[in-house]
Amino acid sequence: MRRTIALLVTGVLAAALTACGVSIPTDPYGTLDRVRGGTLVVGATANEEWVQIDGAVPTGSEPELVERFAEHLDARVEWVTGSEQELIDRLDRGEIDMAVGGFANDTPWSEKAAMTAAYVDEVDEQGETVKHVMLTRMGENAFLLELETFLTEKA
Amino acid sequence: MSVSERTNPKGWFGHTRLPDEQQRALAQATRLEWATIGFLAVTVTIVALVLGSSQAMRAAWIEDMLSFLPPIAFLVATRVVRLKPTVAHPYGFHRATGVAHLVAAVALLVMGFYLFFDSASKLVSAEHPSIGGITLFGVTFWLGWLMIAALAITSIPPVILGRMKLKRAEALHDKVLYADADMNKADWQTAAAGIAGILGIGVGLWWADAAAALIISASIGWDGMKNVRGAIGALMDASAKTYDDKKPHPLAARIDRTLRELRWVEQARSRVRDEGHVFHIESFVVPKRGRMPKLEQLEQARELCSSLDWKVQDMVIVPVAELPDEFLPGVTSGGER
Repeated sequence: MRRTIALLVTGVLAAALTACGVSIPTDPYGTLDRVRGGTLVVGATANEEWVQIDGAVPTGSEPELVERFAEHLDARVEWVTGSEQELIDRLDRGEIDMAVGGFANDTPWSEKAAMTAAYVDEVDEQGETVKHVMLTRMGENAFLLELETFLTEKA
Repeated sequence: MSVSERTNPKGWFGHTRLPDEQQRALAQATRLEWATIGFLAVTVTIVALVLGSSQAMRAAWIEDMLSFLPPIAFLVATRVVRLKPTVAHPYGFHRATGVAHLVAAVALLVMGFYLFFDSASKLVSAEHPSIGGITLFGVTFWLGWLMIAALAITSIPPVILGRMKLKRAEALHDKVLYADADMNKADWQTAAAGIAGILGIGVGLWWADAAAALIISASIGWDGMKNVRGAIGALMDASAKTYDDKKPHPLAARIDRTLRELRWVEQARSRVRDEGHVFHIESFVVPKRGRMPKLEQLEQARELCSSLDWKVQDMVIVPVAELPDEFLPGVTSGGER
């Protein structure tokens, strides 16, 4: 048992070291590399002042942040709209890179999508604090970290 | 009788007064277990703060939570065994150790199984663990680094504590303490597997995390299995083994040898079971030429045996015409006579 553990640990560490050319964290599906200088595919669902969908391009505070994030990555944004359910399914299948729609950090979708750290607090009518987050595809950690860093620095 | 009348002063197990060495070991072990509980409280808090969505971290954290059980079991059991034997419990309360051992072992086993299947299902459903960033003092960095640091820092003290406990477990012949020390000593492997899992996530190997969690849960389950077997064995009156359950306890053979060397003794064999810390011994003795020994001779024999080791207190000597093989399996077939 002990020996097996030691072997496996050594194996993974070796794999980690040989992968040193890669930065940590890295995306299993390479989202960040693909988006940089390319296209950022964003899902949006309407939610009060956070996301409004009137024309082809969503407006509101979150789409604005997304546009600035894309600029930061030299990418252009391609918008996809739909219900929360549709967006989560699309994230899961990797058809979109991230989703916005006034999501809070207690969102029930946290099992199926990765959440950024809360980037802004809002006090709702009940006087409770709602911490707002954006969603990315599960496990695309480099992309997630890039977005979080952008949000904490720029928001 | 009030509890205070029934409880012995420190340094006694039931009606057995512990020798100085054992008293010291007990006091040290008690301090070590309190230190372990204090340390675990800190560890569990630190790891909980950086838990994130890593399955390996979760497994390591649950293992830390479970590590509370053996120290608590030890502290409770060593208090209970101090009770004097009563009319209702003429053998004393030594078995409290066995019960504590079993409780802790079953918890380990169940948790190991649960985590194993939980991790396996994450691996099968190809769930990609997400670990994002954390902002501390205005700097945003990857939470994985913090997890690795937490695992590395919290992995060292248990190894030291484990080694210190191991010595005391041998002196006290305490299997709960031994199980605890053994788990602590292996704790760095859990941390190492956890670190490997997180580094794996870091380099984009999403499966490394669940694989590491599988290894950790297998080791928890393995610990549980080993301990359940040992604890049940002792409760089922298996013949006494050493504190690590590896060999038959040498005391049984020493008692037989001591009895056989007595002038009036032709043949002697004993059954020895482990009550917890102390042994319960029934020695069957065949006197020479079938002559009944004198009362003093029997008394002397008993005193001689209990002077061999502090664990020998509860001992009966039964003079018999021939060794009863129904009570001593292996006597006649083993070619002893």
